[in-house]
Amino acid sequence: MKIKVRAFASFREMLGSELELDLPDESSVQELLDALASLNPRFCSEAFDRSGLLKDYVLLMKNRKRLDRDSMNQALEDGDEVAVFPPVSGG
Amino acid sequence: METRSPSFRPCPGAETLIEITEDDFCPQEIIERAKSTAAGAVVTFLGTVRDDGLREMVVEAYPEAALAELDKICNEAADRFGLTSVYIIHRLGRLAVGDNIVLIVVSAAHRREAFGGCSFILEELKSRVPIWKKEIFDGGERWVGT
Repeated sequence: MKIKVRAFASFREMLGSELELDLPDESSVQELLDALASLNPRFCSEAFDRSGLLKDYVLLMKNRKRLDRDSMNQALEDGDEVAVFPPVSGG
Repeated sequence: METRSPSFRPCPGAETLIEITEDDFCPQEIIERAKSTAAGAVVTFLGTVRDDGLREMVVEAYPEAALAELDKICNEAADRFGLTSVYIIHRLGRLAVGDNIVLIVVSAAHRREAFGGCSFILEELKSRVPIWKKEIFDGGERWVGT
């Protein structure tokens, strides 16, 4: 299945603004992030701590709704859009 | 002595405008649009680029998600404070020191609702809306808040 990833601010500078990943069906959000980390070592070191946990400051949205840490094992569906970004700072 | 608390009536018919744009805006034009015979108070917040020694600021958004979140905040504020109108404009792109970044104009029957509504919108925008600012200095750059 194809998942669209959109990255913003510091994560856009690492990953590019938009990319499409082809993942096995029913892959989870965690597996998507693992795939991004293996594609991009800088994203891996900036987004994950030494024990492999996603750092608190990394924020996620799925189809424009915020995802909390309890949803990391949620299965994705073909065509989902996942956004990754640091804390917001508008205004 | 009995004091009356202000009435924060839901106001589903509030006039609203939400924009995320690279273009500059004219605060006075928006203030004029916010005025109405139902509103006795118009409160404006204008955020500008402060001179912290930066060369320029770059503002970036997740536009679809930011517009949806601003829309929610706008409705929450209108309901909670009984606003008669809400206007929110946020700039994107490269901005120089002194440039406008964000404009929030709200109107309400009375000042307390208007001040409360404007402040609520600004604080919610800063904490919830996917927009980011990057400060560019001569010797480097940094994303604000990270």
